[in-house]
Amino acid sequence: MRNLKRLSVAVIASAMLFGACGGGGGATSGEESGGRSAGFDGVKDGGTLYVLTSQEGVSTLDPQRVYTGAELGAWGSTFTRTLTTYKPVAGKDGTTLVPDMATDLGTASDDLKTWSFTMRDGILWEDGSEVTCGDIAYGVSRTFAAEVTAGEGPMYAVSYLDIPEGDSDFGSAYPGPWLADADQQALFDEAVSCDGKTITFKLKSPVADFNYTVGLLAFAPVPKAQDTADQYGLKPFSNGPFKVESYEEGSELVLVRNENWSKDSDEVREPRVDEIIWQFGLDEAVIDERMIADAGDDQNAIVYGGILPENLQTVFGDDNFKDRRTDGFDGFVSYTMFNVESVSCVEVRKAVWLALDREALRTAAGGPFTGEFAKSFVAPLLAADYAPAKLVDGLNEDGTPNVEAAKAMLEDAKTACPEVYAKATEDGLRFDHPDTDTWKKNIAIWIDSLGAAGIKIVDNPIEPSKYYATINGDRGDLMRAGWAADWANASTVIPELFGDGGGFNYHNNENDPAFADFQAKVDKAKAETDRAKQSSLWKELNQYVIDQVWSVPGSATKSQNLVGSNVRGGYQWLPFGWYNIGGIGLAG
Amino acid sequence: MLFFVLRRTAFAVVLLLLISAFTFWIFSALPADPAALTCGKNCRPEVIEANRARLGYDKPLVEQYAGYMKGIFAGRDYGDEASSVHCPAPSLGYSFDRHECVTTLVARTLPVTASLALGAFILWMVIGVGLGTVAALKRGRWPDRLATGFSVVGVSFPTFFIGLLAIMVFIIWTGLLPFPQYRGITEDPAKWFTSLILPWFVLAIVSAATYVRMTRNGMLEVMNEEFVRLGIAKGLSRRRLIVKYVMRAALVPIVTIAGLDFAFLLGGALVTESIFNLPGLGKLTLAAVVNSDLPILVATTLVAAVFIVVANAVVDVLYGYLDPRVRVK
Repeated sequence: MRNLKRLSVAVIASAMLFGACGGGGGATSGEESGGRSAGFDGVKDGGTLYVLTSQEGVSTLDPQRVYTGAELGAWGSTFTRTLTTYKPVAGKDGTTLVPDMATDLGTASDDLKTWSFTMRDGILWEDGSEVTCGDIAYGVSRTFAAEVTAGEGPMYAVSYLDIPEGDSDFGSAYPGPWLADADQQALFDEAVSCDGKTITFKLKSPVADFNYTVGLLAFAPVPKAQDTADQYGLKPFSNGPFKVESYEEGSELVLVRNENWSKDSDEVREPRVDEIIWQFGLDEAVIDERMIADAGDDQNAIVYGGILPENLQTVFGDDNFKDRRTDGFDGFVSYTMFNVESVSCVEVRKAVWLALDREALRTAAGGPFTGEFAKSFVAPLLAADYAPAKLVDGLNEDGTPNVEAAKAMLEDAKTACPEVYAKATEDGLRFDHPDTDTWKKNIAIWIDSLGAAGIKIVDNPIEPSKYYATINGDRGDLMRAGWAADWANASTVIPELFGDGGGFNYHNNENDPAFADFQAKVDKAKAETDRAKQSSLWKELNQYVIDQVWSVPGSATKSQNLVGSNVRGGYQWLPFGWYNIGGIGLAG
Repeated sequence: MLFFVLRRTAFAVVLLLLISAFTFWIFSALPADPAALTCGKNCRPEVIEANRARLGYDKPLVEQYAGYMKGIFAGRDYGDEASSVHCPAPSLGYSFDRHECVTTLVARTLPVTASLALGAFILWMVIGVGLGTVAALKRGRWPDRLATGFSVVGVSFPTFFIGLLAIMVFIIWTGLLPFPQYRGITEDPAKWFTSLILPWFVLAIVSAATYVRMTRNGMLEVMNEEFVRLGIAKGLSRRRLIVKYVMRAALVPIVTIAGLDFAFLLGGALVTESIFNLPGLGKLTLAAVVNSDLPILVATTLVAAVFIVVANAVVDVLYGYLDPRVRVK
């Protein structure tokens, strides 16, 4: 279960991938790396790092439920290790996959349908017992338990592992460790097996980058004896350099050093502070004032949540903050999905895009600090797979609508697809969106700007907590969404959003004439082991989707942060769009 | 007197039962679907329906209410059998948002609110009644004007404004106090005190304003009574007359309001707890409203209702003690 605020983030949240982003400094939005606070100048071991946030709590500490980029990085760097992870360094190197609990990056069979990983020696739980291969298998099995994980975490275990479809709530023949009978458990044990320290995953279809998949915390170990089902997230068992001492929503989360963690068994993490304390439920305005004032313990603080728009000018207009501030892409791309079945006319879809006042939408959200107009469904930070696509002819670079071009496109639609034309101009296109304050403003901009070109929008606000469940069953003509890659590969973007069986494909595009060719190329790209060739294929596929206008790209979004003056190692860890919190140190 | 207390207790129990039924019904009628709220990103209608069955929200409302009431006396299991969570009696429900028994949450947050309420109550009574008394005794002179001015300021500014101003002045600008990070009084008395001192004063300033006016007006009214003039004529000392006769009579309506105000505060000081980040019952309730966490909302409403009902009964008894004219025979 999530609260609405969390849901709005979590539904689009995943790990985030970073690359280069351009721009200048000053009071306008541009890249800012954090200056001195990003390095380790004057850092000393020990001390307490504070994390200030207006949230009442974290989304979850349960590894199989967590699906927000910042938390994936935070828990992974502190108390939950996985077979593989990312190199904890600033810049593009931070997206490099490295072995963590495994001795290497795994071994795949020739057909890429079987992957094996061998565990290192000496990895211990916080009580001193050994982390076993069986603990990893048990952890993976928890994803299948709908009654416990509630579909909050990534579902790659369900979609990738070679387990038949069935009657469980997630459509699998395996209902998870609590409800499975012996036969059902045997299905899972066949797909995920242990031989000493080697764990083997059998997959339904070839996956060239499955070693990235197992870097997600959904593939982290959980000791069965410590599993308290729905309550495991209150006190997860640690095998990393920190452990959870206490967690109370609305109050604080305290992480202290885990004395049973050894650097000898962990080549990745380098903990520096003794304690990390998250303080929840603070007023956002007060957080900003405290961080700007930079006094007392706040010099040892970072913020989970960004800077309020009204304070951006103060922070980015004054060079006194240049060693404490960061500004960059957060890995997300917002977009608006077409129901390709009901809006089966590419001319109408193009007309919608041309008529939309994207600049007004960005201004309503807070202006350029909020992001740049997206030219791809892949975020710019996923540098290897990102290339700005050629957008529809006539689209204004500055985001303002091109009403004439839209009208001309509608004229083409009138003859090419008269039924869809009539629907768009007379009956109206139903726009599904969560019933939030933001979208109350946005939908007015959609209605006004498309109305100027003669396209009618029928507003369909949906109670936010039911939004995705609703469009899973009853889809409008247009639906809003957002996405970030789950790992450093567009395989977690293009197939997920547009492909057959994609976990987030709401486009009803399977019957589009262009789909078969698209899907064949997706399958080819997924099985491609040459990363350079694969990148090239993803870029082609992104252009393909842009050309078909199955979705209208919105913004590649940005976030801004400010840290205390004693914070060191406060760089944006690109795979997660936040700090490598487990490696942060303090100076002074 | 015993019969009076028993009668009040019986009435309170019936009232609480009615309130619990009404609260349960009203929150169940809200548009938020608690089953949908248990569903994450990969939500499918099947998962929502399965969760609805697991949580018992598919049952008739009367059956749900009966289960809830049974949980209060006998404890209850929540979720699927194999992975269920047991909440011992008195179980006020289970929050699938916070993954904890609601009774645990209430037990954890209530001492915070009680600490806040008690300190603030003492302060505002001392400030409110004290200034009100001074204003009445110095009627028309500068102490009266000062006290009246204070009460105007106190009632004019909302809690969040005075709270934020206090944070800015005493914590951020001058650094005189650390930012409140609540600890229990037994765990860290110094931190307990420093985390509550500002909230106490903020609540006291806002609430005392009303009491200044009430005390001043009440005392002036009583001071014009014939029995006071009789006392003066009989040569009673001014101090004795004021303390023993005037204040006692003037306090009767104040006790009534104070009792209810205190009980209301025990139900949670939503704004103050939020501004000063005190993890109390009010903050828990506010978060539950935002998250549509119905089990917590039902429980905190019931707890607040218990305080109000109990306070009403206590006030009734005190009322009789302070004013013999209304004492129950």
